[in-house]
Amino acid sequence: MFYLSKIEHTLRLPPHLLRLPLNEAIKLELENVFLDKVIANLGLCISIYDIKEIEGGFVYPGEGASTHTVKFRLVVFRPFVGEIIAAKLKESDANGLRLSLGFFEDIYVPSHLLPSPSRSEPDPYGRYEVKWIWEFGDTKYVIDGLDEIKFRVLSVNYPSIPIEQAEGSKPFAPMVINGSIDYDGLGPVSWW
Amino acid sequence: MSFRLEANAGPLTNFEVFDFLRCKGASKDPTRVLVPVTPSEFKVYDYLVESAACNQTRNIINEFLEKSKKFKLAKAEILNIINIRPSSLVEVDSIIEQCDTRFQEEELQELVDLVIEVLPPLPNQPNAAEEVNEDVQGATERMDGEGIKGVNDEKADDEPMTELMG
Repeated sequence: MFYLSKIEHTLRLPPHLLRLPLNEAIKLELENVFLDKVIANLGLCISIYDIKEIEGGFVYPGEGASTHTVKFRLVVFRPFVGEIIAAKLKESDANGLRLSLGFFEDIYVPSHLLPSPSRSEPDPYGRYEVKWIWEFGDTKYVIDGLDEIKFRVLSVNYPSIPIEQAEGSKPFAPMVINGSIDYDGLGPVSWW
Repeated sequence: MSFRLEANAGPLTNFEVFDFLRCKGASKDPTRVLVPVTPSEFKVYDYLVESAACNQTRNIINEFLEKSKKFKLAKAEILNIINIRPSSLVEVDSIIEQCDTRFQEEELQELVDLVIEVLPPLPNQPNAAEEVNEDVQGATERMDGEGIKGVNDEKADDEPMTELMG
């Protein structure tokens, strides 16, 4: 689920951080820049692991800030294809399921990747739009969001940033994971 | 301007990330303002604390890596097993590719038994409650010693353990 990534970045250190020791100031500024952001094809940045090298410290003319070239390692969230992850159900609608990990919420299981045959029926309690039910032989298994759902990662996409967005549409998701639960052992934990 | 020197400098098990966040100061208690851990890191911590990673220790993982060598599993499969902690044949089946052709049923059962024996169960499973207490104590005692070579060390010799996985 998580990888270490070595990055080299040219960082501008704002003057108000110059009172701190260099390490701490660089770490703070790196956290501001990278944490909780998605880098295309790299993943969601979780945390700065360590700082390997700091070079530079030039002050360009007309500036108050110093510029450093920093080599450091970053913990990124990037599941590989085929990984099994346990997540919670966030939304369930006619297109399929949407799962959430707390820190990452754009995981979709489209309806054709639910175990077949599945059908949906409107949720009587109104928590989700529809409830999906898997009919295996005579028994019905419901995806009711009470326990964790294990899914397998099929693909990780990084859609490009749209130039314009229509009013009221879903906020842009820079990283989208598609998953499948169409296999033995996958789906809500209580099924198995 | 940034350059990726090594986009893939090593996969991390959930335990390693959990350990790293814990060494930084993340914990379960609600007074979280005084710690240098950002809210987004806390969200990751909250997820990991309910997964199989919360009761693991480095020794346990090394032991599991040693003992699972004879099964000749792929790196991704070992990572999945450590993160998910399958406790039955059905769960192992989804992790291992082509498991019918690669393993007999007795070998799979042996693998499941090894997982149950070495890796501690998930936190909300009622069985093996005493083992959980021992492991957590062992982990916190070690924590005080290891926490000193903290993250801010530039000569971080705390290399990720997956270097062992080669």
